[in-house]
Amino acid sequence: MMRNFLQRTWLNLYLNRYTHSKSRFENGPDLNHFLQEKKSNDYQGNLVLRKGEQRLRIPPWLKTEIPMGENYSKLKKSLSKLSLNTVCVEAKCPNIGECWNGGEDRIATATIMLLGDECTRGCRFCSVKTSRKPEAPDPNEPENTASEICSWDIDYIVLTSVDRDDLPDQGSSHIAETIRSIKRKKPNLLVECLTPDFRGDKKCIETIVKSNLDVYAHNVETVRELQSHVRDYRANFEQSLSVLIHAKEVNPNLITKTSIMLGLGETSEQIRETMLQIRTRANVDCLTLGQYMQPTRRHLKVKEYIRPEVFQELKEYGESIGFLYVASGPLVRSSYRAGEYFIKNILKDKHQKKQAAAVGISM
Amino acid sequence: MRRNLLSLITRTVFNPNFVFQRYSSNANQFVNVKVIDRDQKPIDAKAKVGSNMLDVILDNKIDIDGFGACEGTLACSTCHVILDSENYKTLPEPVEEENDMLDLAFGLTPTSRLACQIIVEPRMKDWVFVVPKDVNDQR
Repeated sequence: MMRNFLQRTWLNLYLNRYTHSKSRFENGPDLNHFLQEKKSNDYQGNLVLRKGEQRLRIPPWLKTEIPMGENYSKLKKSLSKLSLNTVCVEAKCPNIGECWNGGEDRIATATIMLLGDECTRGCRFCSVKTSRKPEAPDPNEPENTASEICSWDIDYIVLTSVDRDDLPDQGSSHIAETIRSIKRKKPNLLVECLTPDFRGDKKCIETIVKSNLDVYAHNVETVRELQSHVRDYRANFEQSLSVLIHAKEVNPNLITKTSIMLGLGETSEQIRETMLQIRTRANVDCLTLGQYMQPTRRHLKVKEYIRPEVFQELKEYGESIGFLYVASGPLVRSSYRAGEYFIKNILKDKHQKKQAAAVGISM
Repeated sequence: MRRNLLSLITRTVFNPNFVFQRYSSNANQFVNVKVIDRDQKPIDAKAKVGSNMLDVILDNKIDIDGFGACEGTLACSTCHVILDSENYKTLPEPVEEENDMLDLAFGLTPTSRLACQIIVEPRMKDWVFVVPKDVNDQR
């Protein structure tokens, strides 16, 4: 009887997947499908955590499918064969099924996390393992990462890493080597790197910028007022801003990017003030805003689930104060694929302008 | 159906927490401790002897968020607890790394320790551990 019941549900699951993917293909969603969710006004559940309350229930716009599929399994196997870590797995990203399976265009991608899976910091929102003395970085990692990434059929990749305060150069040369390997193997592949703050060390930032990456990302994570509540004690707002400012100083043509998580107890004014600071003081070009989701019991609770309409309002505000591009939505993360479409266009624009200028000068 | 019932019975009999605890000398010993959470609510917890207080708070599913962010590796101060002065004196001295992390803790007191470094012993029966208000003033 049990077996029958299970068979029926598996059958249902496969049937649903087939019909669901068929209709999705037919309807051919546009980019806005990723960033703008349906009207959330009909959800009656509580969205703000009250005092003494255990935990908020996840609203419907944050529910994701169970990750499975051919691309997903293939990617999982090849990553484990090369001992490559991904932030997708380590930080329990809800989009893992979608990105690893390939979303609408069936092009699978993952965000590889360099320098191991143990971080020397313990931030209260992140489920990546913490250790005072993680393992030494794998010297083959830059080469392995580069060959794995270049074997995927993509034109944009995001790299990230853990914090390695225990290493003398904090891991910056390892990351830079990976970027250079990728650029050697596939020069047309656009590389974005989400870096640690290197404790503000300008030389480390320069090492990364000089490896010729296309987008330099470093996340401020939250508003100024909640920095010490949310992040590790070694991280703070001013330091993160200084990283972004210095990256732009070393290469003014570099696109810089940052990210803020919402729902940790900040107010609307605090978010807007932070966005303004980022834009005016650090001249950051791209911003991503996403909903914080509690990865495990040990991490901070979600204080509020922000409605998709509010994300849309913040996107409009961001664009009005001068950000070249704002990706804003509950499931948006700093390496969420949908955003890359726009950044690619910005980069192509810059390349074209550079080429036009060169031609103009030569003429 | 019959097979399931048999395995259910066997599992119950051999569950150390049910039957063998009374009879086996190798059983996991538990002591009752009291934890005062961030809202000043006292909670009774069963502390397994040999584990650390961070694990105790997590195993008892006590509702304190962001507690033990670094998983007990002395890389943060989020598992900061405050003890009674007599109990505090009987604990072994903290290592240098623990003191470094405690210096960053919000609301530090002379009887503060990091929960991940307190190993539960049978003599800790009925001890009170106070979890201070928060990691940092949100204002």
